[in-house]
Amino acid sequence: MSKIIGAVEIGTSKAKALIGEVADNGNLNVVGMAFRPNEGMRKGEIVDFRKAAAAVHSALEDAEKMSGTTVDEVYLAQTGAHLKGQMLLGSASTASSDNRVDVTDLQRASEEAKRRSPDAGRTYVHHIRTPILLDGRIVQDPVGMIGSKVDLGYWAIDGDDQAIKHALHVISNYSLDVKDLILSSIASSTMMAGPDFRRAGTLVIDMGAGVTDFALYRQGFVAYTGVIPVGGDHVTGDLSMGLRILEPYAEKLKIEHGKSIPDPMDEGEDVWIIGNKTIGDRAIPRKAITDIIHVRIVELFEIISKELEGLLEPDELKGGILLTGGASLLPGVDQIATKVLGFPTRRASFPSGIASELAHPENATVLGLLHYGLEDHGLPGRKKEEAETGFLGKFRKMVGLSPQH
Amino acid sequence: MSQENLFPQETNFSPENELPGIRAKIIGIGGAGLSLIDGLCFDNFQSVEHLAIDVDSRALADSIASEKLSFGRRHTRGMGTGGEHTLARKALEEEKDVIRKKLEGVDLVFLLAGLGGGTGGGAAPVIARLARESGALVFAFTPLPFSWEKSRHSMAEECLADLRKFANAVIPLPNDSLLQMGGADATALECFAEAGRNVSKGITAICALVFRRGMIDVDFVHLRKAFNRRAGRTLFGYGEGEGEDAIRQAVRELLLCPMLHLPDVSKAADALLILITGGTGMSMASLQQVSLEIRDEFKAGEHIVFGAHVDENMGDRVQITVLGATDLEAGTPPADVAPAAKGVISALPKSKVAHPSKLQKQNQTTPTTPTPKLSRFKKQETIDQNTFDFMEAENQRGIFGDLPSRNLYAGEDLDVPAYLRRGVKVSI
Repeated sequence: MSKIIGAVEIGTSKAKALIGEVADNGNLNVVGMAFRPNEGMRKGEIVDFRKAAAAVHSALEDAEKMSGTTVDEVYLAQTGAHLKGQMLLGSASTASSDNRVDVTDLQRASEEAKRRSPDAGRTYVHHIRTPILLDGRIVQDPVGMIGSKVDLGYWAIDGDDQAIKHALHVISNYSLDVKDLILSSIASSTMMAGPDFRRAGTLVIDMGAGVTDFALYRQGFVAYTGVIPVGGDHVTGDLSMGLRILEPYAEKLKIEHGKSIPDPMDEGEDVWIIGNKTIGDRAIPRKAITDIIHVRIVELFEIISKELEGLLEPDELKGGILLTGGASLLPGVDQIATKVLGFPTRRASFPSGIASELAHPENATVLGLLHYGLEDHGLPGRKKEEAETGFLGKFRKMVGLSPQH
Repeated sequence: MSQENLFPQETNFSPENELPGIRAKIIGIGGAGLSLIDGLCFDNFQSVEHLAIDVDSRALADSIASEKLSFGRRHTRGMGTGGEHTLARKALEEEKDVIRKKLEGVDLVFLLAGLGGGTGGGAAPVIARLARESGALVFAFTPLPFSWEKSRHSMAEECLADLRKFANAVIPLPNDSLLQMGGADATALECFAEAGRNVSKGITAICALVFRRGMIDVDFVHLRKAFNRRAGRTLFGYGEGEGEDAIRQAVRELLLCPMLHLPDVSKAADALLILITGGTGMSMASLQQVSLEIRDEFKAGEHIVFGAHVDENMGDRVQITVLGATDLEAGTPPADVAPAAKGVISALPKSKVAHPSKLQKQNQTTPTTPTPKLSRFKKQETIDQNTFDFMEAENQRGIFGDLPSRNLYAGEDLDVPAYLRRGVKVSI
């Protein structure tokens, strides 16, 4: 029996819905997808509920129509500057007399780690497990091994109650359940950075329209994630103000002529705003466009560098830096990142098997949602089903929402 | 003996071409204010007086203003405030009777004060309040420090919010934007000079409107009616054209004026003043056309003041100045023309507080009461001068200008274009 799963990303420029079919052999086929421009969102957070909901709903509707099926549950991407990450650690001594690690030992360690409740007005969005240590050594699955103490940790992301509620309401208004909330940066790095990259250590930067998400992997596990509320929209806004043109023209200029590194060839060359030389059309030096974009992009990477201060070590980042997201298409961003962050940077490519019409950097997150959802992120030794209670159920308990009416 | 007695006022003189009875005063406060007032280069309006106010008596002595007033001698012994605006405020409050006297019978007050400094930042709001109380219409032109001068910048923003409570229109002149003025190779000094020229052109335009008889005339009552209410965001721009197509050229230059393209500048105006000055060749038809265009551009409503003046010295040049303000008290019916002295002291705006954490928005969460579902989204609103929940969609065209909370990172607002904050000059 194949299984249908859905993924929704409420992005700042577009709401995206994806429907995937998981065959018995575990292969994933995308059977429905739809994107809708979203005007209800700024910098990764919902500012106009009705507009955002309308965009998501029509995207879901179209995706369902295309796939010919319906979904009951979706994975939902979560981003926004309100998210904060911290490392939670737990440990447990082996309980059995022969010092063999049992599943219950891991559970106790996990419970201890997750015991810390978030501050008032905040809710955990995502717990990402970091390596399990058995007596100080990293092990994949300690169950059955001999040792006296297991340590494990979670990179826990908590966010503002209200912001999360809004996102969940968008989905529940469509009579869908949210199976799990997944951090956008984790979703896109699942897609763009394969297991070998993550083991070697890599930094994945997803440059979206409203925000830039990043996730740092060390030794195969998440070491840090962050959200910078600056994205492609800021480049458009800067151009609009700096060149004194309307936003739609700024967006057009950005896409057609945007460059983030000054090019000596452009010296003295002009481009037209509208292009048809009607009234109001005006020539703008290419250099002005590049200058405006350049400062913004440099600043963005400088902020990421500041956020990751002390975490970027050559030995731990052999995979270099991978860029994805719509704004990563701007020419020159990879070179700026290399220069500012000090590690070789390139645009990530999709793994083979992703249909070419989907393999666009701006789809990294929504595709990653499906793939992340398929993977098993539970504790070793537990069946997957057992570990899941559904995100909405957990969330309701946490914030005291009444069950769905 | 105080200095003002050395410079007797000339109030009784009103030549034939000036409208009698209305008095205007340009007040420069603090270092930046004094240098602005000294830099004012305009025709002598007989009913316009210049007043320089500072705590630093040496700086005051160097000023060329016709009237001078030093205050705070008791607190500073004639030296500067060292950036302490509370000190300046306290000192001025103690001597407010002297200021009141200076403001007696003045109908129109222009305040020039750099808000980053102690004297300007502390005294300007107090003087604006006193002026409003005495019934004057107050326009303030206020240079703001660069955004990389972090502590000064945040102090200036506090003062700006304070000043906005009292002045009819506050036109901020952020130093960040000065760099965008002038030609491609303009030096910093030339940029400052250019900004100064713009300010004086703005003041000239308003004065000309009030005191000179023009082709299309408006009087002070119109001006007061348009700007009577407390203003929120403002816009101020200037454009000039020359030659055959002068008026078109002036409009083009006006719409590209860097002062109109700043993050805090309003894109629409509830009250708009358009003043066009040109040579004798200016045609009525083109005037009308242009005024309609400008009015559309800024979505100005009924409170529009349009004036056109012919100046023989202009030759084939045309100058256009616009000054607009969005209403802070929209929704309330327009008050009568009487001074708004009583309504001046408002309980509304709170000054912004700096947020301790780096990547946090500056939220002032109001105690949440159970609200209907849709209004939950208002949670992030800050109560400050930039919050206009009544603003229509058109007013919110700035890409992030409509967002109530600021995107602060290490003291910088990331929504403000990076090139402005980093001082990169963009020449278009």
